[in-house]
Amino acid sequence: MEEIIRTEDLCAGYEGSVVLKELNFIINKGEITVILGKSGCGKSTILKTIIGLIPPISGDIYFYKKKMDYLSESSVNNLYRRIGVLFQNNALLNSLNLYDNVSIPIKMHYPELQKEIEKEMVFSTLSQVGLLKSYNKFPSQLSGGMRKRAALARSMILDPDIIFCDEPTTGLDPITAHGLDELMLNLKNIFGITLVVVTHELRSIEKISDKVIVLKDGAVHFSGKYDKLFTLNDSFINKFFLKE
Amino acid sequence: MTEEKKDILLPEKFTIENVPFLLNKIKELKKDVNIEIDFENVERFDSSAIAFLNHLKTNYENISFKNITSEFNKILGMFHTNEDIEHDLQIITPRKRFEHIANRFLKLRSNFKKYILLLSDEIYYTILYIFNRKGVYPGEISNQMYDIGFKSSPILCLISFLVGVTISITTLDQLNNFGADIYIADIVGFGMIRELIPLMTGIILAGKIGASITAEISSMKVLEEVDAIKTMGLVPEQFLMVPRLIAITLAVPLLIAIADVIGILGGVIIAKLFSGIQPSAFFREMLVTVDLKDFFIGLGKTMVFGWTVVITAGYKGFSVEKGAVEIGNATTDSVVLSISLIIVLDCLFALLLY
Repeated sequence: MEEIIRTEDLCAGYEGSVVLKELNFIINKGEITVILGKSGCGKSTILKTIIGLIPPISGDIYFYKKKMDYLSESSVNNLYRRIGVLFQNNALLNSLNLYDNVSIPIKMHYPELQKEIEKEMVFSTLSQVGLLKSYNKFPSQLSGGMRKRAALARSMILDPDIIFCDEPTTGLDPITAHGLDELMLNLKNIFGITLVVVTHELRSIEKISDKVIVLKDGAVHFSGKYDKLFTLNDSFINKFFLKE
Repeated sequence: MTEEKKDILLPEKFTIENVPFLLNKIKELKKDVNIEIDFENVERFDSSAIAFLNHLKTNYENISFKNITSEFNKILGMFHTNEDIEHDLQIITPRKRFEHIANRFLKLRSNFKKYILLLSDEIYYTILYIFNRKGVYPGEISNQMYDIGFKSSPILCLISFLVGVTISITTLDQLNNFGADIYIADIVGFGMIRELIPLMTGIILAGKIGASITAEISSMKVLEEVDAIKTMGLVPEQFLMVPRLIAITLAVPLLIAIADVIGILGGVIIAKLFSGIQPSAFFREMLVTVDLKDFFIGLGKTMVFGWTVVITAGYKGFSVEKGAVEIGNATTDSVVLSISLIIVLDCLFALLLY
């Protein structure tokens, strides 16, 4: 299976504290990889480090087997054209309506694309996430679940190779969360998009994950298939999944 | 007569990089040309390719597809968008224009009502606090006094001094023509204490304090902190506003005293430098026209301006509902409205007091 992202002895963190300690893992193409762990164990830090928002302290990140240089503008731009990010708090621009929010990546990366094609793309993406009729609404007029779906639409508009989702279903009711899980599965199954999902939601993990990475104190505690998790009889994992 | 026909062979990589070129090519062809789009070479496509095909299907009748795979066709069907969705047409009829004006008038009336309600609430809560000392976070009044009073004093001193200097220079020039240089003391003293210092202080408070109060309260509103205050059984209009109103009431007399001294000092320096008027002669002349009543009138006006700034800032802050843009707009509106109200009130004072 083709690898998209690989980390080698990755250490990262914030001023004065190392959160991620020598992480080694691989994210394969066409899979949904779920990263889970206790609050503060570095789940969101992994995403932020891979997408270049936090500089690594040491270690390397490889994108399509090519070492990432976050100081190089071309390297970072190449990464940003091929990834989509769904932030924990959605990060929709409040001054723009849904149509304009979702069309930002097209307008910025492909200004030569004709308006009529842009419109088709935005409307078809909004229709996939079920927000077509709300295209002219502003983020403040949407519910939490709608905002998540709008943010997902923005992250997928340019058919990224990989979408990073930071706690996509947290705070949503089970029905809306289920809808979002279905949407992520469709992205994988129909469009072959790779997803990296940080979540605490046990139902979501069971449903969508191809691979699970469990973090404990900033280090990889387990990496493998979801089913394999419970054959280990590991106390930390059992506690996490409420089996103990 | 045979119809003209044109084949377009799609590239292997049918993606967003090629779509603008393909659409331009189709647009260049005559409308009566039958176009056949050949999918034979297509190995990779993306959502822009599907959007492109949907656009062709909807808008061009003379286009047909060939060698299209069933897999592609299936995905094409999944991307169907609602054709009824179109941007709303903005047709402005005279009736709509009238409705728009009427709505703006009604909104203005409702805003005025809300402002007056907030003002009366604040008067009530402030009096209530003075008697029962409840509903305000301990130590908040002194914190606000530090922010409103101490932090505003440097800029106020600088502006007062410069206004004093400017007024003296421009007036001295005219007084020189009549040999009446000494009356500079009356003009600077009277004008600064009763008019310019209160007005400048009000404007500085609006720009510095008003903007910060609106930004703070509106952010709290957006981040649901105001709701949290309510759920703790507190009244946000009391909890957030009363300390600021009391702080400005206590800070303004000090600010005015400092500003008056510094402003007049600017006049004294210019009078000495440009006309050789001794400071003692300046003050003697000034006290002939200016007395303690003028200081209190200036102080009273500034106090009213200060309250106006705080109430306006709070009103604009509380009116924000959601969104970062509203915070910016509310802050700007707060400063503009405060300054406008200060000038209107100043005009009313002039009519009443002279």
